[in-house]
Amino acid sequence: MALSPGRSGLGAGPSPAPYRLSWRILDALEAVAARWPARAEGAIRWLLLLPALLVVGLLVFGLLVMGDASLRVMDFRTYRLSEQHSLANYVRLWGWGAFHATLWRSLGATLLVTLLCLVLAFPYARALTRTSSARLRRLLLVGLFLPFFVGQVVRAYGWLVILGQQGLVNQVLGLLGLGPYRLLFAYETVLFGLVQYMLPFAVLMLAPALAAIPEEIERAAASCGASPVRALLRIVLPMARPGLVAAALVVATLTLTDFAMPAILGGGTNDFLANLVHDQFFRTSNAGLGSAIALVLTFLGTTVAGLLLALAGPGALGVRGAR
Amino acid sequence: MNDPSFFTSRRRLLGSATALAAGFAVPAVLRAQEPAKPAELIVRAWGGVWVDSLKKGVSDPFTAKTGIRIRHDLTEDNEIKPRIWAAVQQGRTPPIHVNWDTTANATSSALRGVCESLADLPNLAKVLPLAKPIGLEGVPIVNLYSYVYVLAYRPEVFPGGAPTSWSVLLEPRFKGRIALYNDGIGFHPVAQVMGGGKVSDIPGNMEPCWAFIRKLKEQKPLLGEDPDFTNWFQKGEIDVACTISSNAREAKAKGVNVAWTVPKEGAKVDTDGMWIPKGLTANELYWAKRYIDFALSTEAQQVWLDGLGLPGVAPGLRPPADLVGDPSYPTTEKDFERLILIPPRIQAEHTAEWFARFKEIMQS
Repeated sequence: MALSPGRSGLGAGPSPAPYRLSWRILDALEAVAARWPARAEGAIRWLLLLPALLVVGLLVFGLLVMGDASLRVMDFRTYRLSEQHSLANYVRLWGWGAFHATLWRSLGATLLVTLLCLVLAFPYARALTRTSSARLRRLLLVGLFLPFFVGQVVRAYGWLVILGQQGLVNQVLGLLGLGPYRLLFAYETVLFGLVQYMLPFAVLMLAPALAAIPEEIERAAASCGASPVRALLRIVLPMARPGLVAAALVVATLTLTDFAMPAILGGGTNDFLANLVHDQFFRTSNAGLGSAIALVLTFLGTTVAGLLLALAGPGALGVRGAR
Repeated sequence: MNDPSFFTSRRRLLGSATALAAGFAVPAVLRAQEPAKPAELIVRAWGGVWVDSLKKGVSDPFTAKTGIRIRHDLTEDNEIKPRIWAAVQQGRTPPIHVNWDTTANATSSALRGVCESLADLPNLAKVLPLAKPIGLEGVPIVNLYSYVYVLAYRPEVFPGGAPTSWSVLLEPRFKGRIALYNDGIGFHPVAQVMGGGKVSDIPGNMEPCWAFIRKLKEQKPLLGEDPDFTNWFQKGEIDVACTISSNAREAKAKGVNVAWTVPKEGAKVDTDGMWIPKGLTANELYWAKRYIDFALSTEAQQVWLDGLGLPGVAPGLRPPADLVGDPSYPTTEKDFERLILIPPRIQAEHTAEWFARFKEIMQS
């Protein structure tokens, strides 16, 4: 509560300062808050959650519409979806080799990119949170945030310039009498581009978790005779688990649903599921089949996230009250 | 090459080669009843040399004549299509006034019933019969020119002269250095012939086509779209490609040493057109039609298609100097004997199926 000069007991001496309008407003608000019924607090929480719930609700509505479209077959004589519902689109996916190839390619990339990002992000995040050099920390922060200012498509085109037949890498190799080599338009190139794109996300998710581990604990482990490796494996990694799981979740789901890297760096023969969805909607105008693939992709993303959380155990994200 | 529909279409293409002097003039009676002019018309177009040529040959002169500003929307033709369809279905104003589109893609919109009729365009009576779409009721689309999917190549890798067969695509030295469209468009009929099949078997039996594409897959081709071909030739990524001659010509204009040919097995010829989505106001529809009508005129086509290096449907066009006698600029019966036309309706009805097979091979 704001103190008024009359009630503060400090009224003696020179004339008191005028009681400001802003203080009076705050007093009024406090008075209202004091009379606010305790049970209304729950309503306020829901009110604050409402925008987020609306956004998610719209997403669910979109999924329902796609679910309906996925059960209708496109008639290419009229380019309209059938009136009748059936599982024909899903049956077709089951027997379509391109879908299988794309599915396994997407899942394989998700696994590899997530693992690589975690391995590469950990030392970066640790250096960022543990270094005593302000200059190094600034440098690492710039390295972390700079990529966010450059969009994914621009970065992918950057790799086209660097890795092309007449690109920087082949020019350097040429000086050594090597190459030129085809470095673009392969699965490995797509993975490389994805790792480069996802790494800052992983560092960003991991750094707060590492920063929350008190250095004293590591020093205590060392003073008790634990080697640095043992301390890392037995102390740091378990305590960093919320950050590791969060990083894995973000990288895995973004990779699984990525479109631009396979489209730009894949040379047309290394598509992911998102590319297949795009093709169905925009190239063949088959909204039914496109919706079916989109729903499979959504299901896969949810499953990957669920599996990660299940593997990491209860409370993996460090959310209070998680069991 | 024995497909009767091909010969029929070829005759249609050449049927009025001697026809009619061009003219932009709209009858005075029509001018007197002209509805209010919109501030602008939005015309969807492809980027690069495509939109530059359209602007120079059609849009800017149209603005000069009518005072209506033309805005070019460079959204891909495949991507604007579902937006137009949704707008028409929901009774909203479509996002564009005129869609410059491949005839095959436009045919899918015509089959869905979202195109306005263009049968009353004055210039339609003065151009080659090819301007009217084959196999569709009425005139929902107007074809404006034809183009050929040529074999483009780097002359330095063929010191003995231009390749004479599409079989060069299978030469081991070109492994990883060939390119096709990422949906196989433009290559299916050629692959059918190369696989030992007949064009007349399309779409009934295309196994020879898929067999050849499976062989081609072993060559690790790059798959892309129009701008990619120019870029790949420029950056030295490819030596040989099946692409529209305009892309090769653009690369050449940018200083890349690229040439093109129509091999002995033939090459696919196709058309592009324009159409107007339903849902425009009456005055917008009128002026959108006037725009397309102007695009049909000799005056507009001469400048526009000089830029693209493509033969138009207006009579009396002069080929660009660099394309006189070029097989990718067919003007005579003999030129067309080497070209393969698949009716757009067949393409529209089977695109998804062909795309699925092509993807299955290329993504596996």
